[in-house]
Amino acid sequence: MTRSDGPAKLEGRAEFGTDVEVPGMLWGALVYAPVAHGRIRRVPLSGVRSMPGVAAAVGPDDLDRLLPGGGDRNRPVFPRTEVMYRNQPIAAVAARTASEARAAADAVRADIEELPALIDLETRFPEWPGPEAARSEGIIAHVHARHGDPDGAFRSADLVLTETYRTSGIHQVAIEPHACVARVDGGVWHVTTTTQTPFGVREDAAEILGIREADLVVEGTWVGGGFGGKGAAFLEPYALLLAAAAGRPVRLGFGYREEFLLGRSTLPSIIRIETAVSGRRIEARRVRLLLDSGASLPGRDFATGYSIGFLLGPYKIPAFEMEGYAVRTNKPPFGPHRAPFAPQCVFALESHMDELARRLAVDPIAFRLEHVWAEGDPTQFGQRVGPFGARAALEAARARIAAWRTDAPAGHGIGVALGFWSTGTGAGGETRLRLSERELVIEQGEREIGSGSVIRGLVAVAERVTGLPAESIRVAYSDTSTAPYDTGVFGSRTVGALGQAVEKAAKTLLGILGERLGTPPVRLEFAEGRIAVLTNKGLRGLETLLTDTERTAGGLLVGGRHFGTPGTIDESRVLDGTFYPYSDFTAAVHACEVNVDPETGAVRVVRSAAFHDVGVVVDRPMAVAQIEGGVAMGLGEALTEEALWSSDGRLLNPGLLDYRIPTLGEVPSIEVVPIEGFLGAGPFGAKGLGEPPVIAVPAAVANAVAAATGARVFELPLTAERVVRALKRLEGPARA
Amino acid sequence: MSQPIRLTVNGTDLERSDLDDAERLLDTLRWRLGLKGTKEGCRTGDCGACTVLVDGESTLSCLTLTREVEGTRITTIEGVRGEPAGPNVLTAFGAEPALQCGYCTPGFVMALTGLLQEEGSTHRTSNLVDELEGNLCRCTGYRSIIRAIGALGDELR
Repeated sequence: MTRSDGPAKLEGRAEFGTDVEVPGMLWGALVYAPVAHGRIRRVPLSGVRSMPGVAAAVGPDDLDRLLPGGGDRNRPVFPRTEVMYRNQPIAAVAARTASEARAAADAVRADIEELPALIDLETRFPEWPGPEAARSEGIIAHVHARHGDPDGAFRSADLVLTETYRTSGIHQVAIEPHACVARVDGGVWHVTTTTQTPFGVREDAAEILGIREADLVVEGTWVGGGFGGKGAAFLEPYALLLAAAAGRPVRLGFGYREEFLLGRSTLPSIIRIETAVSGRRIEARRVRLLLDSGASLPGRDFATGYSIGFLLGPYKIPAFEMEGYAVRTNKPPFGPHRAPFAPQCVFALESHMDELARRLAVDPIAFRLEHVWAEGDPTQFGQRVGPFGARAALEAARARIAAWRTDAPAGHGIGVALGFWSTGTGAGGETRLRLSERELVIEQGEREIGSGSVIRGLVAVAERVTGLPAESIRVAYSDTSTAPYDTGVFGSRTVGALGQAVEKAAKTLLGILGERLGTPPVRLEFAEGRIAVLTNKGLRGLETLLTDTERTAGGLLVGGRHFGTPGTIDESRVLDGTFYPYSDFTAAVHACEVNVDPETGAVRVVRSAAFHDVGVVVDRPMAVAQIEGGVAMGLGEALTEEALWSSDGRLLNPGLLDYRIPTLGEVPSIEVVPIEGFLGAGPFGAKGLGEPPVIAVPAAVANAVAAATGARVFELPLTAERVVRALKRLEGPARA
Repeated sequence: MSQPIRLTVNGTDLERSDLDDAERLLDTLRWRLGLKGTKEGCRTGDCGACTVLVDGESTLSCLTLTREVEGTRITTIEGVRGEPAGPNVLTAFGAEPALQCGYCTPGFVMALTGLLQEEGSTHRTSNLVDELEGNLCRCTGYRSIIRAIGALGDELR
């Protein structure tokens, strides 16, 4: 077993957020708005307060009473005046049992005046908005940048290709739903919750509640999958508010229906890409993005300005213009989903790259190789590209698909796509290492979400620096009042960023031991349950190197911290909004072979291979597992996953039967090919691997379908219906 | 007041009179008996995370009323080591390891254990994979689970 959490998880002994239970606990339930947009007149709760088992009911009128200053005015726990999306929580109830809480919440009859709702992007913008739209009502963010002379390049081009792509809303679908247990005790607010970011929840929930971060303690649990859906505060503020009102602990959890209806998911977009080519050289590109941001968009400009960069791709383009709009609609707020918005942008861009190559009669991989960044090239904002394995990954993919071509049955199609990612090594964190005679403990503030980045990744870093074997290294968890600060498990950053803190601390530890020994340690060793230090003078038991105080305190304690320094971009290219520098430059190439049923349009992926610019492999089994899982998720995004809304803002498929994620028999063989040697910022040159595996998959599938059938599908996912429509367009008179 | 219900859970005989008539086996196991290894996922029978064995047969505890299984023998993940195929399944999943976040894992272990113990079971890796389509995993892409099933197949032969 290469995972120390394996036995507990296998036998059901790991306590997840959904499992947490404390004595005297009440059950919470949320009251949901019955309209997608409306003006709140009254949320009467006095009736439900006397229902069986009800201990507390809280709504907008209770915020001033229960929270300092009534909580955050811009982001109130419950809306005070306006409902922004259907099922928005407008009140909450705590009761003795779950069913009593649900019954009481369902009995609330809010008086809400329904207002016209905007659900679909194209209702707001039937045509592409002009610059005058940037400051208009409901535009949450506008970003605009230009470099060189794109207009001139388009005028003189040999070929101009303009295409419009559409992407759909997708849900994270972690198997564990959200759940937390809150209590307020002696002026301290506590919440135990399933989260990717305990410190992020602390910051966010404290702000929403209007309390000091120091007065809020967040304790993480084992996390049953995150994928971006368990980042910022979500259920915690409601649970904390209920606990404050009831004076008792309150559990608040979601069922899957609520996960689908309310989870912070990725929302639809419309993408337009235009490219000007002279000879076979890309001279200019214009990209435009209309992003449905729902009721709100976390990080506004960041989400838009970062996403849109993926539409230019990791390619040398002398001139460009890009413009993005984040449009408020009456849907639940937009939320991050593994590699936020990269699979969608890469789907559009890499489909477009294949279409360009087809029109130029160039091999699509050769066409990419002619344009792809190499180390030292400038990005669109003049940043220098660091070590980057895109070329090597593309070349490896070319060799692999050449082999596939020799035995692929007639009618099968092979597609390749290149994805780009920038690992979030800029977001920092701290750790403490505690070395005793018997073990090395990594004290840190994250929780393991499944990838193994905490339970295995951080351990592997400590192993490699100290020489100790994994069985002598333990990862310790605690709550935000005692754990070292860390920004959390997101952005593929755990090994890359927190791993650097562990690396530094481990080196400091060896340095201190070296001073005490008078000679530098070669490594630490572990035998018969005891740690010893190996030097050129021999082996020395650790017990002789620790002071009495250190022994009493549980070991020699050292800290390590890593706070990255962001790169810079050429601001002269920015016309509006904010754009962001990249940190690590990470390439992800996906290749797959598909079979398309010409009658039904059903697409079956029969084999696939993933080529990942990992820097170095820190732990091979974990890396392989991470890539396999990411590819499967990408297949869902490519083929079946699509949130469907009615024109009045009802989610039409809030369940697993109608929102289909891949099942056991649907994931083909996945060959995993790490591309090593293009070193990143992480320990030993490791790059992040949490998000890259998903990025290029939808695009590769779309390119394979086009290769198999000649039909291009311009919308994600490639459902059977869309494929059939594309096939019919191919046959139809419009084409003739 | 409800009639008392008798169950045998992981080899222990229980009689409870505090259960609601419409109570699901999932909730009885988790919140009355504290057996939280049985995971709560969708509660609609779509994800398989709550799978337990009822008289040896793989069963979704979220779609089962506790009253329906009166008098039966129930095995949860906490008791799987006592089932004939349980230790082998645990070993195969652990060796791979065929898990990441671990939330779907008890459901897979129980479903697979139930399949292998079916009377006259002649399961091979390929049809085991078909039979387990009702268990969803979002982390692994199933490849490690398929490898674990494959390893198990070899051991059984």
